[in-house]
Amino acid sequence: MSIRHGLLALLEHGPRYGSQLRTEFEFRTGSTWPLNVGQVYTTLSRLERDGMVVQDGEDEAGHPLYAITDSGRVELRSWFEHPVDRTSPARDELAIKLAMAVGAPGVDIRDVIQSQRRHTVKAMQDYTRLKAQALTAVEKNGDRERDDIAWLLVLEQLIFQTEAEARWLDHCESRLIRLSSTAQAAGPEPASPGAVAGAAGTGARAAAGAEEAARHRP
Amino acid sequence: MTTWFHSWRAAVRIARRDAWRSKGRSFLVLAMIALPILGVSALDLTLRSAQLTPAQRVERTLGAADARFSDARTGGAAILQDPEGEQNTPAGDYYSPGTSWPDGPTDVTKTIPAGSTVLTDSSGTAKLTTTHGLLQTEVRELAADDPVARGIMRLQEGRFPEKNDEIAATTQFLESSGLSVGSTLTARGFDRTYVISGSYELPSDLTAQQVNALPGAFLAPYAKAVEKAGLPKPDVSTTYLVKKAGGFTWNTVQAINAKGVLVTSRVVVLDPPADSEVPLYQRKEWAKNSGGADAAALAAVGTVVGLAMLEICLLAGPAFAVGARRSRRQLGLVGANGGARSHIRAIVLSGGLVIGVAAALVGIVLALVLTFALRPLLEDYMGQRFGGFTVRPLELLAIAALAVLTGLLSAVIPAVTASRQTVLASLTGRRGVRRSNRVLPLIGFGAVLLGAAIALYGSVVSDQFVLVAGGSAIAELGVVAMTPALVGLFGRASRWLPLSPRLALRDAVRNRGRTAPAVAAVLAAVAGTVAVSTYAASRDAQSLAEYRASLPYGAGAALVTEEGGRDVPAVRDAVQRTLPVDVRADVFRIVVGKPGCAPYGEGEGCGRFDVVIPPANECPLWAIAPDGSDLVEKYTKEQRRALAKDWRCLSHDGNGIYVEEGLLVADAPLLKVLGIDDPGAAKALADGKLLSFHRPQVDRNGTVGIKLITDPKAADRAVEQNKPVPGELKSFPAYQVPGSPDSYGVESVLSPAAAKAAGLTTVPLGAFFSTDRVPSSEQRQRLDAEIAKLGSNVELTLEQGWVDENGLVLLALTVFAGLVTIGAAGIATGLAQADAEADLKTLAAVGAPPRVRRMLSGFQCGVVAAMGVVLGSAAGVLPAVGLRLTEEREQMRSYQEALDQGWVGVGDAPPYVPIVVPWETLAALLVAVPLGAALLAALVTRSRGALARRAAH
Amino acid sequence: MSTQQQQPVLSLRNLTRVHGSGATEVHALRGIDLDVHPGELVAVMGPSGSGKSTLLTIAGGLDNPTSGQVFVEGTDITALGVNGLAALRRRSIGYVFQDYNLIPALTAAENVALPRELDGISARKARTEALAALAEMDLGQLADRFPDEMSGGQQQRVAIARALVGDRRLVLADEPTGALDSETGESVLALLRSRCDAGAAGIMVTHEPRFAAWADRVVFLRDGAVVDQTLRSDADSLLTGRAAQR
Repeated sequence: MSIRHGLLALLEHGPRYGSQLRTEFEFRTGSTWPLNVGQVYTTLSRLERDGMVVQDGEDEAGHPLYAITDSGRVELRSWFEHPVDRTSPARDELAIKLAMAVGAPGVDIRDVIQSQRRHTVKAMQDYTRLKAQALTAVEKNGDRERDDIAWLLVLEQLIFQTEAEARWLDHCESRLIRLSSTAQAAGPEPASPGAVAGAAGTGARAAAGAEEAARHRP
Repeated sequence: MTTWFHSWRAAVRIARRDAWRSKGRSFLVLAMIALPILGVSALDLTLRSAQLTPAQRVERTLGAADARFSDARTGGAAILQDPEGEQNTPAGDYYSPGTSWPDGPTDVTKTIPAGSTVLTDSSGTAKLTTTHGLLQTEVRELAADDPVARGIMRLQEGRFPEKNDEIAATTQFLESSGLSVGSTLTARGFDRTYVISGSYELPSDLTAQQVNALPGAFLAPYAKAVEKAGLPKPDVSTTYLVKKAGGFTWNTVQAINAKGVLVTSRVVVLDPPADSEVPLYQRKEWAKNSGGADAAALAAVGTVVGLAMLEICLLAGPAFAVGARRSRRQLGLVGANGGARSHIRAIVLSGGLVIGVAAALVGIVLALVLTFALRPLLEDYMGQRFGGFTVRPLELLAIAALAVLTGLLSAVIPAVTASRQTVLASLTGRRGVRRSNRVLPLIGFGAVLLGAAIALYGSVVSDQFVLVAGGSAIAELGVVAMTPALVGLFGRASRWLPLSPRLALRDAVRNRGRTAPAVAAVLAAVAGTVAVSTYAASRDAQSLAEYRASLPYGAGAALVTEEGGRDVPAVRDAVQRTLPVDVRADVFRIVVGKPGCAPYGEGEGCGRFDVVIPPANECPLWAIAPDGSDLVEKYTKEQRRALAKDWRCLSHDGNGIYVEEGLLVADAPLLKVLGIDDPGAAKALADGKLLSFHRPQVDRNGTVGIKLITDPKAADRAVEQNKPVPGELKSFPAYQVPGSPDSYGVESVLSPAAAKAAGLTTVPLGAFFSTDRVPSSEQRQRLDAEIAKLGSNVELTLEQGWVDENGLVLLALTVFAGLVTIGAAGIATGLAQADAEADLKTLAAVGAPPRVRRMLSGFQCGVVAAMGVVLGSAAGVLPAVGLRLTEEREQMRSYQEALDQGWVGVGDAPPYVPIVVPWETLAALLVAVPLGAALLAALVTRSRGALARRAAH
Repeated sequence: MSTQQQQPVLSLRNLTRVHGSGATEVHALRGIDLDVHPGELVAVMGPSGSGKSTLLTIAGGLDNPTSGQVFVEGTDITALGVNGLAALRRRSIGYVFQDYNLIPALTAAENVALPRELDGISARKARTEALAALAEMDLGQLADRFPDEMSGGQQQRVAIARALVGDRRLVLADEPTGALDSETGESVLALLRSRCDAGAAGIMVTHEPRFAAWADRVVFLRDGAVVDQTLRSDADSLLTGRAAQR
């Protein structure tokens, strides 16, 4: 998420001063990205330097108002038009954790998965609760509807991301179970934790490898 | 109570909408129930409409008159009558020996009270000329246009006769004579001609051949003309329509009865007296018909209705079973929402209720409409006009109740089955073999054992038909109940079959809920057919064995006894022309009295003759002692059995041609026709001897006596009083034909010359003839047409050997069973197809060619039909055999009893009661019907469509 | 929460269910304990074969446990007969299945009225109640439509209305959104959620975490046993800033 573009998008609706921009930003993103006023003013001054905003008078209280310029509008348009770059995903601690847990002695990977799942689902529950509130708000508040919808979309993005994580956990678990059962069926002796871990390790290594590959991309 | 009602309402609503959603299946079941209901209610409407109210009846018999007076022919002796004026009997005691039954006319007019308006209503018969020839017609002289007579005859066209040379005719007469209003008409041997002025009908007898003339315009002059020709004048009976203020009460009627006159009174008919006031009903010999016959008829009707309902239930049951099966998910949902088993049952039962009610409505409404619209046709068919369009709501309601009951009963087993499913199984739609009800087959097995035991007891120990039939019926129902289990047994065979039949058989066995009722339906129909066929075939074999020819094979006889044989030459000629006659023997009969006299001394101035049996030759078993007592009582059983074989007691076994006293006047050709080839016989006949085929009539001197009785009444009195019969005795030297050849009912033959020589009067009687080959049906029809043109009453006999009378019935039964089989198998197949749509889709998806679908449905149909006919044939042969065994025992017993009582003659053979299995019928049912059903099902099944419909579903 | 103090609407005690016997013996449930209180929506998650659906069918009396007890509104239903269970389903329990929930021969209103009518309430009164239930869930306009004239989501919502008509306050939902798209599924769950917020108790089997997240509590089942569960925290604590603003 680019704060730069977020501020430009807000200024598109008309001139605003710094702390006003911060409030609106947080409102729209549901406080997911807390900003401090300093961050806002630093960004604004950089935008001014690049010719995308200009200072445009003050309000009654004497706050300096910023307005978007034409080149700012062009930048904003191109931001909306280009898809978000997926080439550099954030480093995911969970993936690394699972990759490490496979084969680690004294660790039941299913417990690791389950405790992560509980956490994930709980987060989803919380997001969903907020979403339910947002849904109610969308239906009730006519004038601030646009803000509410924006908030709803952000929440849903979070929910879907979390869901993807939960599904990935489900998938990991069922894969581990299947691999352990085939290992049991293949081996003459009862399955040892090592066999399970070794077999599971293949999958985890693949995941880790993908992670590695991603890191090396520009 | 209200709770129950409310939950049923919900069930009915679901069932109603479901019935509407699956229109095809609903319509099928509806039609099955509605058709019989339509028939029964139309029958009820027709019969009830044809039933007249007393007022309507009175109008049709009395017109506007108050009473009809008629001669009871008791010679004026008092009579007792019923209120309707339909039955009467002399009032005195005429049953004791020594009293003679009162007979003779009385003058009715004397009993008619003064001051009444009287119309005479006379009728006689005459041979009227038609465009085709002659027609024996009733001539009725009644002033039909008179206000008093109005209502008896209904004018259709023109007008009633107003002049003496006019005549009106029934529409039926006009139709069969080819005449029309305006044509002229006369009678044979009558110089007057009449113009047809109009046509009419008798509302209660539409088929009557009748003409109407003014009183005195026809019958009297016609009688004169006939008498002039030397023929007996036609009988004329006259009744009187009487109109009198106040009418005739029951008391008046009884007073008039005292003078030997029968009265049909309007007042009495409309308001009949209580039975206790009718002396006729108090007579002890007057057995008012008891309820016994009614009860038997009711039981028969009940059985037929019950069987029909069972059959319909069995046919409709599978439809409900499949309906319940298809809506299993829905029933499961009802269960998940708190529907108890009773609710599930209620929903499926409501399906039956809804269809039953709809069928009742449709059937009865259609019956009302059809009966109303087809009323003229129905009236013609019934031969009488309806009194009115009578609707008996209660009876129609009862019929409707029958329909509803049938619908409900059909749905009972599917309902119970559906309610036994667990909600979970219904919801998950798991298919699989449902364990069939184990109680029903056990009950069925019990019923089979019980029924068989009863039937066995009936046929071996007690000879009671009712027991055999009842036991068989119980056993049969038991087999029906066992059907699911029996169907299961068939499943064992499936392992050895190729794919399509194997699938079909497995499917049928797995889904017994729908297969079993269809198989049971086939079973019931086939069992009934096989039972009746076996019984009828056995009866046929028996009657073939017992058949006695009337004449030698291919020979015939055409005899005319009326009008002194006036039409005999024409009849002989017609026979000669139409049939391939080889030898024709003209025969004559002896007449005592006028030449126009009928045999046995009937008619005025007519006598008769007796062939005398010498007292020594009389069979002691039949003789009557001078004091009037029966001599048989004197003999012991053994003596009676011995006497039964005595030559004097040799009785004629009833075959052959009946002529007066067994005597014919004819020449030698007759012997040829009868197949008598004794050379002595022809010679004796030519020598003027009497040929005798009946030994007891020849007396010790070798002569046969013929007694000419000129006064039959006096002779009857003499017989009653055991006195010698007065009359002139003529004796003929006789030739007893040796070796007792079959003379076909002829006991004596006399040549015409000998008869003439003895001074006997003879008249032509007709002809015996032999043929080159058996006359064909067309030749017979031509002869019948020729005879009809003569308008004479000809007794025609043509020996064609034994004819199978049951053939058509058997064929019809076989066809019926075949149709039911194909129908039931077809229904089961349709249901199987509907049920197995998923399997068919799988089959198609796996790559089975479209042909498999066809073959599968063919085999499904064939499997049901085959199982049904195999079980049914087995179940049907047994009761028939039981019935036959019972009959044999019973006939043997009565034969032995008859021997003991001295009732039999030598000619009687011991009874022969064979058991014959009708193999043709069985083969048709066992092979042709299943095969046909299978082919039909295969033909009508669409081979494509499984995959196409998958998407739509 | 305050609801926790009330008597549970459904409670399962040491519930065990064994399918088959001998070699084919399968332990579908092993000693499950679970309470569902008024106002609470519980989601049951777990891989296929974990016993989710068995749990639901036993809770609704459609199947019998091998051992253990099921209390609905304080009554032990394992002691009831077939007719008693049917009556219980009419009066206390509502089912919502994955699809084809409605009886095709009946309109929406009649479907909703069905349990009441089966219970012997007069048709008119049952209809009034059904219409009220539909109106309360904003489904009044569907009242006279037949199921085949409704979308899948509408059918599911009518099924929820039916599950809660009358005095019933326990909904057992088996994959209620399984046959629906994401958006429609959401609306069905929002309805279920709001009914629970209004005081009903719900238990829902699902394999979609996104839908399970609507529940107050998510129970994880594995091999017939409860392995874990989440309690809803106060969501506002997660996103402090915003909560302060609103």
